[in-house]
Amino acid sequence: MITLEHYLMVSGMLFAIGFAGVMVRRNIIIILMALELMLNAANLSLVAFSRFHVNASGTPNYNAQIFVFFIITVAAAEVAVGLAIVVALFRLRQTTNVEDITALKF
Amino acid sequence: MSVRPGPQPLNLFVSYLDLLKLASPEAIIVLIALAVLTIGLTGDRSRTFPGIVAVVGIVIAIWTTMRLPQHANLFGGMLVISPLNSLFKIVCLALALATVPLAVSEKSMRNPGEYLAMLLLGTVGLLLLVGSEELLMIFIGLEVLGLSLYVMAAFDKTDARSAEAGLKYFLFGSTASAFTLFGISLVYGISGTTALNVIGLKLAMGSIPPLFAVGIVMTLIGFAFKIAAAPFHLWAPDVYQGAPIPSAAFIASGSKVAAFVVLGKIVLVGFAPAHGNAAWHSMLPGWSPILAALAALSILLGNFVALAQTNVRRLLAYSAVAHAGYTLLGLVAGGREGFSATLFYTTIYALTLIGAFAVVGIVKRETGGDDFQNFAGLASRSPFSAACMSVFMLSLAGLPPLAGFFGKFYLFSAAFRAGGNHGLLWLVVVALFGSFVSLYYYLNVLKAIFVDKNASETRHSSPGTHRFVANATIAVLAASVVLLGVLPDALAEAIAKSVP
Repeated sequence: MITLEHYLMVSGMLFAIGFAGVMVRRNIIIILMALELMLNAANLSLVAFSRFHVNASGTPNYNAQIFVFFIITVAAAEVAVGLAIVVALFRLRQTTNVEDITALKF
Repeated sequence: MSVRPGPQPLNLFVSYLDLLKLASPEAIIVLIALAVLTIGLTGDRSRTFPGIVAVVGIVIAIWTTMRLPQHANLFGGMLVISPLNSLFKIVCLALALATVPLAVSEKSMRNPGEYLAMLLLGTVGLLLLVGSEELLMIFIGLEVLGLSLYVMAAFDKTDARSAEAGLKYFLFGSTASAFTLFGISLVYGISGTTALNVIGLKLAMGSIPPLFAVGIVMTLIGFAFKIAAAPFHLWAPDVYQGAPIPSAAFIASGSKVAAFVVLGKIVLVGFAPAHGNAAWHSMLPGWSPILAALAALSILLGNFVALAQTNVRRLLAYSAVAHAGYTLLGLVAGGREGFSATLFYTTIYALTLIGAFAVVGIVKRETGGDDFQNFAGLASRSPFSAACMSVFMLSLAGLPPLAGFFGKFYLFSAAFRAGGNHGLLWLVVVALFGSFVSLYYYLNVLKAIFVDKNASETRHSSPGTHRFVANATIAVLAASVVLLGVLPDALAEAIAKSVP
């Protein structure tokens, strides 16, 4: 029997892997992918909560499923903006490695 | 884990005409953004015309906000109209209005239509944030605002520093919003709803499960990023220094005001039962000790690192970290008094900072840089800008009779009285010590302006009209900082009356 806890554990792990990717990876494109992973972890937990929160009438609580559609859209917009910034930076610097981007420093 | 959702509010059916009426400020700003974008795309490269359209649109939006009904609540809190929300919609629109002339007078700005359209779309994000008391809409507002701000920060495509500022802001911002989102998903999971007032009611009924505590912490991380509180401030110095000046001004003002309004609503309405206690001898787990720790760390770190800066924009960034710390004091104190003190201070601070950035913009256009040595001799080159800059700096330092003094006074006295038996005294002492330290670096800026010899020659002078627009903006902002210092009650009472 797969319970809510199992879903939450998977989503927590996905979030942790995504965050570790953002912190450890040096290529901006990979970092963008890791960011997507973090957003999708939230999607998974929202859908799981929605499935396991049954209303009095026996239907799932659909609020969270609507929320997920919004998150998918937002994630797409975020990647579009992120890639645009990466392209702008690549034209000026010819690199996608975060370690080379050090014009602004303390 | 069996949490039953309560009865959902049944006001889901609203006629589109009513919806359009209640959301008219947002609708007007979106339309104006599209109009400005079209003007920009038709090949007209003049900066003045799109600027005028944007200003007219914002003024119309302010007027419609004033004519909204007193109270309305749509879709279970997604769009709430209350005196507080309307007041802060007007404040956000006014901050956008003050940013437009900065963008118009920015000489390096190519594609002004696109830039102003992004600014206006960001303003829509501010309005959505301020006007909602529901987590889905708050998240959408945060993202609409964030995505516009990332683009605005990276807008100067000829300058590698601008692209870098945009990238850093984007990476930090997206990570923070992913944290907030995950936190929201946990909060939803435990309470079964996304409406803030229902979450508060649900929590008050029983003990707070550990998963919900995780949700609270993760949600707060996202907002700590938005208000640039230490240790989530790492983006701020780079963005303030690298981004185009109007973008930096808007990021420092509008986005911060809206974030404080929403953060206040989330912690004081939604998470109210998980308040905890930040008083020195009776700490209890909850969000208020977390915010108190963020505040103390921000005040100390911001002020001490600012001492070492030689670039005025970086200095403003670290001082912004410190000011985020002061502003959090009101939320830690909680209650009506604390929340109104926070709102008053963040409004004053936003006005002051737009003014300071406008002066930095003038100096940068004339000398090609914004380090201390570029400010040397500003008093003899342009006595007017120098006088206004000293008003802004002294207000940030919190000297009477300027507005910053009364803002700090309200905040510190609210924190002093709260917490039972002056339990927050430790935080007030930290804040007072921080303001004392900050006096040094603000006066250092003034020393560069008034005392240091003019090392850098004036290289460019702006064309007459743009110079006039910039000067008029600065004059209005400086006058409002002085006036709010002389008559602080005008704004403070309006805020105190509207806070529920």
